[in-house]
Amino acid sequence: MTDLPAPPAAVAPAAVSAALTTTSVRVTSGFRGARIVLYGAVFDPAQRPSDVVVIVRGPEQPVRIARKVQVANLLWLNSRPVVFRGAPGFYMTASTRPLDEIAGFAVLRRLGAGIDHLAIEAPAEQRIETRYGVKDMVVSRLGADYFDWRQAVVRLKEKAQLYASADRGVVFVDKGLFKSEIDLPTDAPIGRYEAQIILFQNGQPVSQRVRELTVEKVGAERALYLFAHRRPWSYGLASVAIALAAGWAASAAFRRA
Amino acid sequence: MFDFYLPIAEVSVNAPLLVGLGAAVGFISGLFGIGGGFLMTPVLVFLGIPAPVAVASMASHVAASSTSSVISYTRARAVDFRMGGVLAAGGAVGSVMGVEIFRWLRLLGQADLVVSLSYLIFLGVIGGLMLTESLGSILRARRGDPAPPRRDKRPPWLYGLPLKVRFPRSRLYISIIPPIALGVFVGVLSAIMGVGGGFVLVPAMVYLLRMPAGVVVGTSLFQIIITTTLTSVLQAGRNQTVDIVLATLLLVGGVLGAQLGAKASSRFRAEELRAVLALMVLAVGLRMGLGLFLTPDEPFVLMMGNGG
Repeated sequence: MTDLPAPPAAVAPAAVSAALTTTSVRVTSGFRGARIVLYGAVFDPAQRPSDVVVIVRGPEQPVRIARKVQVANLLWLNSRPVVFRGAPGFYMTASTRPLDEIAGFAVLRRLGAGIDHLAIEAPAEQRIETRYGVKDMVVSRLGADYFDWRQAVVRLKEKAQLYASADRGVVFVDKGLFKSEIDLPTDAPIGRYEAQIILFQNGQPVSQRVRELTVEKVGAERALYLFAHRRPWSYGLASVAIALAAGWAASAAFRRA
Repeated sequence: MFDFYLPIAEVSVNAPLLVGLGAAVGFISGLFGIGGGFLMTPVLVFLGIPAPVAVASMASHVAASSTSSVISYTRARAVDFRMGGVLAAGGAVGSVMGVEIFRWLRLLGQADLVVSLSYLIFLGVIGGLMLTESLGSILRARRGDPAPPRRDKRPPWLYGLPLKVRFPRSRLYISIIPPIALGVFVGVLSAIMGVGGGFVLVPAMVYLLRMPAGVVVGTSLFQIIITTTLTSVLQAGRNQTVDIVLATLLLVGGVLGAQLGAKASSRFRAEELRAVLALMVLAVGLRMGLGLFLTPDEPFVLMMGNGG
């Protein structure tokens, strides 16, 4: 574990530490997104050149996406929707430099660091077959268009500010002390988030920390949400009662006036 | 400052804007004697409310503004409760079917298409017919021509069907099958398009059932209250898509607007009102349908719900 004190060695290994200014974001009726500041420090007696990468992942949310296809050169219709799994509801990376300058492709892929390296898959579209004499090949029914679909998922999520990457989002504010900001939009999904802080030296991850963050509805918002989902029929009756009462009240008030 | 986070839609909206929107649509609703859902639902979707939440929460607003108007119509004895009840019985069956159809369409990913097509077809056709009819009577009035003799002959099939019932307030003795079928149809539309269905119901009552003009609007509003109330409860129970905060913000403005609209309606001539309404109906229908024919900027669309 990286949390253990480093064993005595010829050169002490570097370590990273970090903390979030807020660990629980409360969604109330005035919620308009939140900015969370992350502070951290790099401990390295040898003072080797260090890079820090922060990856924030929200709860997993399967994505249903459809493509508009033109039928009979006239109408634009939705295709059959494709479900992508493994897509976090929120994903942000911040780093001291562009990720591809910090580490190689294989390292980033293994860590799932960067939007291009997210493990988003459409399992329902996959089947396993033997091709070119190679057994157990995973083939996607989306064929060559697969990358268009995957890119569309990322593009639409970025447009909703749910996916973001900041090439210079981690800034060293003092020797060994760094800072980063996490912006959650209003429609950031509710649930547990994980911030992974990774220290890179010489293209390799040498130390990492994980910090948790929860986004939860509180107060009236939470009560209404739970009411709507736990007792949906009573909730429906209540909302209708409000409507009918309001209609009656307005009519009564105007009659008197 | 006045932004509100909606607990079910999970988006933040500007409260005064929604109350104002509710009031504007409520005013139109009172003025023309319609629910106003056909205007409200597209505007909500345009403001960024997820379509299933807009469709479901709308029903409450329509129920509220219709209640507010129907009470005045009741006092004027302009509601045929028996006919309204028969229509509503059909409407109840239609709502249940419509909510299930909408659920199934969402799973297929074709809800958008069906909603846009329904708007294009129904609003386009009805708006077109109303516009032709009202422009015709306005022109005739300008030229001073006499109104064409009203064809009071009712379609014979209306009388050939079994299960005849007397509707004294409407001065009708007809089979209950056509009103029930009409109710079912409007109920399905109500659940799918997020509308009350007045724009279908009113012309159908006038031209198909040949009800006297005086009771048409009140009766239509009465049936709309029952259908939208049921749709609301069903949407909440089955799909959990009713946002009570959104609905309340809209209906606060809506009930006030409806009262003011009903007062204002006496100041305008009926055919001019119909022409304006026809233009609005046409414009919304074309705007909703246009998306089907234009090449989209973004060829992909994300959908609500995971549909596991």
